[in-house]
Amino acid sequence: MRKKTLTSAAALATTAVLALTACGSGDDPAKPLAEVSVQQTAKAATVLDQPFKKPDLVLKDTKGQSYDFRERTKGKPTLIYFGYTNCPDVCPLTMSNIAIARKSLPKADQDKLQVVFVTTDPERDTSAELAKWLPSAGDPSFIGLTGDFATIQAGARQIGIGIDPATKEKDGSVVSMHGAQVIAFSPKTDAGYLLYGEDTTADDYAKDLPKIIRGETP
Amino acid sequence: MNRRAPLVLAVGLTAVLALAGCSSGSSASASNSASAQGGSSERPQLSVSGAYMPEPVSDLAAGFVVITNKGGTPDKLTSVTGDLSDDITIHKTENQKMMEVTSFDIPAGGKLDLERGGSHIMFMDLKHRPRQGEKVRIELHFEKTDPITVELPVKETTYNPAQQ
Repeated sequence: MRKKTLTSAAALATTAVLALTACGSGDDPAKPLAEVSVQQTAKAATVLDQPFKKPDLVLKDTKGQSYDFRERTKGKPTLIYFGYTNCPDVCPLTMSNIAIARKSLPKADQDKLQVVFVTTDPERDTSAELAKWLPSAGDPSFIGLTGDFATIQAGARQIGIGIDPATKEKDGSVVSMHGAQVIAFSPKTDAGYLLYGEDTTADDYAKDLPKIIRGETP
Repeated sequence: MNRRAPLVLAVGLTAVLALAGCSSGSSASASNSASAQGGSSERPQLSVSGAYMPEPVSDLAAGFVVITNKGGTPDKLTSVTGDLSDDITIHKTENQKMMEVTSFDIPAGGKLDLERGGSHIMFMDLKHRPRQGEKVRIELHFEKTDPITVELPVKETTYNPAQQ
């Protein structure tokens, strides 16, 4: 029984679930485990009623070679995130959470999963910068894309993610932004069917990735 | 939430006590004159808890603290200094956009909560990349209160006390 997800409550409820599963898994289910099943209906993923078509993104990868997102991720379970490397908090947090979750998968599933990081600050995030940052923030298997900002912005918009170009302040500092969500694409339909907010933990991803890899709804 | 809070708080208070003696702060006069007339509730009473730094993945890092003000007067966090970097700034995050600010308000009887996804201390051009288990010493500077020295324990990159 799958209920509709409440994103705002998801993080809190997930914590409760984790705390409860520790003591509830082995015990005799005589005690009020009913409450646990209530908690489990709140999930990290927001399931989209109208899934997104894959964005038309042709950019450069970390080796500077052309990368066609639709073509290269066709039929593969894929996560996409828009961020930038001069981001001290949320971007490495997101990449790191996904990397940890990915490592919990069987090797064959790890190889199937495509994790794509698209820079929102292509001026500073060259292929070389992404090649340096991604293995450290996430995993060497992650795909880093850079290119023309207009292309990146248009691609992001196709999956409901609004990003503004980096702007330079009077003091010379650069203000960039990251996308609000990670979007998961199904290997079955190639549609973007799940949204994950920045509160999503490594445990949340670890729980959902096996389903994403099979194109199922968590 | 954060079980280590009392300990860190104690450290923070010790720092306040230790620093209260030396009047190095240039902005100390305002709070001094205020406290001369009234009781202790007339001035900010700051304590720091829940300090940490997620292990950085590059030569920039973020730091997080909670500053509680038990006093009857607001204060402001105006800057942060430390040995790890010569370029430490304070940032707020709004709509996935991170912006430098000149100060953060610490309301009377309230708190300033720097937390993941929100406001943070930003360290640029790290002199070395601290690893999990290390401690990073910083000094918090305020509009009224004397500086407070805090040690940020370096946690895993994904550490987020709001979710523990």
